[in-house]
Amino acid sequence: MSEQSLVSDGPILGKDDPVLRAEGLEKRFGGLVATDDASIEVERGTITGLIGPNGAGKSTLFNLVSGFYEPDAGYVSVNGVDVTGRKPHQIADQGMIRTFQTPRKPEGMTVREALLVGPHNQTGESIIPLFTSPDTVEQEERRSLEQAQEMLERFEIGDLATQPATDLSGGQMKLVELARGMMAEPDLLLLDEPVAGVNPVLADKLAGFIEELNEEGITFLIIEHDMNFIMRLADPIIVLNQGSVLVEGPPEAVRSDERVIDAYLGGPSE
Amino acid sequence: MSTLDVGTYSPREKGVVGLLGVLGALLLLAVVTGFLAPAYLLYLVGLSAMYMLLSMGLNVQWGYGGMINFSVAAFFGLGAYGTALLTASGSPISGGVSPVVALFGGLGLAAVLAVIIGYPTLKLRDDYLAIASLGLAEVVRIFILNESQWTAGSAGLTGIPLFFSDWPVLGDLTYPYVFYAGGTPVFNMSQSVVTSFLNVVLVSVIVAAVYLFLRRIHQSPWGRVLRTIRTDEDLAETLGKNTFAFKMQAFVIGSLIMALAGVFYSHLVLFVSPQDLQPITTFYVWVAVILGGTGSDRGAMLGGFTIVAIQQGTRFLTDTGALPIGAAPLRLMLVGLLIIFIVRLRPEGILPPERELIWPDSLGGGRDE
Ligand SMILES: Nc1ncnc2c1ncn2[C@@H]1O[C@H](COP(=O)(O)OP(=O)(O)OP(=O)(O)O)[C@@H](O)[C@H]1O
Ligand SMILES: [Mg+2]
Repeated sequence: MSEQSLVSDGPILGKDDPVLRAEGLEKRFGGLVATDDASIEVERGTITGLIGPNGAGKSTLFNLVSGFYEPDAGYVSVNGVDVTGRKPHQIADQGMIRTFQTPRKPEGMTVREALLVGPHNQTGESIIPLFTSPDTVEQEERRSLEQAQEMLERFEIGDLATQPATDLSGGQMKLVELARGMMAEPDLLLLDEPVAGVNPVLADKLAGFIEELNEEGITFLIIEHDMNFIMRLADPIIVLNQGSVLVEGPPEAVRSDERVIDAYLGGPSE
Repeated sequence: MSTLDVGTYSPREKGVVGLLGVLGALLLLAVVTGFLAPAYLLYLVGLSAMYMLLSMGLNVQWGYGGMINFSVAAFFGLGAYGTALLTASGSPISGGVSPVVALFGGLGLAAVLAVIIGYPTLKLRDDYLAIASLGLAEVVRIFILNESQWTAGSAGLTGIPLFFSDWPVLGDLTYPYVFYAGGTPVFNMSQSVVTSFLNVVLVSVIVAAVYLFLRRIHQSPWGRVLRTIRTDEDLAETLGKNTFAFKMQAFVIGSLIMALAGVFYSHLVLFVSPQDLQPITTFYVWVAVILGGTGSDRGAMLGGFTIVAIQQGTRFLTDTGALPIGAAPLRLMLVGLLIIFIVRLRPEGILPPERELIWPDSLGGGRDE
């Protein structure tokens, strides 16, 4: 019972320094309410877990905060900046980068080429500097190439740099996605099921990498169905059910919480 | 990096270069033996270059960024009409403007239209541009056909000067005599070879400049973002790229290159009419880009060249009377066969893109493609 009391009924709000704050988010698809008055806060420096049964609205919540869906109601801020209704690229510019549940494979690109898309506001992304300041473009490009190689080596896939990005295993793909996200130098990374379909050995490695990056200051918000993975990594854990936050708390407490067990076992309650 | 450096070649490209060399030698032989009039050969080179420009333009839109533009003929036509309306003695609007100035008139028209059609559609899913551009091409053609008080309508615009007509020395060279039958120019072989040669020099400079420009913007962070957009626009957005802005830039650049082809065409054949805006041009350019290898600048040039080879080669073959079939059906049949060939054997085209879009100087080696 003492553990139960650690679990907050609904989300814990009013955190000290949240990177991401979402308040009262609502999203309907026709008659279906996918997100219903959902509020979350992701405290800087944490690895926050987001779990919940299938169809609970986890991915929808990601799409709402990252600007891919327009909320029917609610408010989102990143690093204190109101980003409600902004375009995905504008939100990414505020320092929040997301991955997708189904890996996105850039066809016709090598792994390092895909990573080089990551850095924000590259000089060479505008046409005029390509002709007026090619040296700056070259220097930036060199630096990005080095960074990309370091990142790949760190994830122990340095040898994949010049492989086609489409020829990777599911697990390698996830590593490349993480590396590409890191190239954007985010404050907060949103990962949607990073170990779905990944073998346990690689999943373990991935967990290690995420912990390392977190120690270096990156904040994470991770959706995951693999309980061992998420319980090992995340604190706190937010449980979403039927479009709104059911409870939030430390992993062990959440795991044994009656409401959570009911939500997973019982399907739609009430 | 020297500006004349054309980069290194893959084995596939070497093969193509070899084939083109043989073809060039054959054509030269045909000229030397009197089989082919020099002025006509030069005209063919000009026509090929024009198709190369059209294909390179479409490749920027479709090959780089995945934008489906069925208005190639319209952008080409705006370039052609833009310069013709300003320079031609038969122009109902102005006429008499120097071609060098009028060039910007043609480009300006195309840029304005590109923004008008791109602004509402490029924010939406890919198919909207496709649908809108399909309609746009016809709107432009029918506008030109019907608003004869501005465009001279179906009669077309005559009296377009040569591009160099008002230049100090070059302008004094012989004025060519061109005879038209049903909108297609049939050349009187007395046309000055010098004039045709000047046209070829002009268009070669344009093609080379466009190619070098594209090579630089393609193998760069800019080109890389477009490649990302092509395969997954959402991915580019999550990485903080303003995909709308990138697509708009590529769309306008592609349209400008198409218009450039139109400007050149006007000053090559010295006559434009709504016939030149037929959707078949758009179709040919699409075949050229896909045949050449979507996404590759060199492929686009090869595709453009191939289309002209088929168009003119069929005419030539049937003219010799060796075949029991007319040029038009033969041409369509060959294009049909080509399409089947591409789809079955080489869906990625003859010279598909093989290079990473990374700023070449930063890779240590020399600049490549
Ligand atoms: N674009 C959409 N159009 C219509 N319905 C949608 C759309 N996206 C999600 N939904 C619905 O919203 C609900 C929540 O879906 P969501 O993908 O957010 O769930 P999830 O928690 O991520 O589930 P999973 O664990 O299976 O990934 C589901 O009922 C889903 O069918
Ligand atoms: Mg999901």
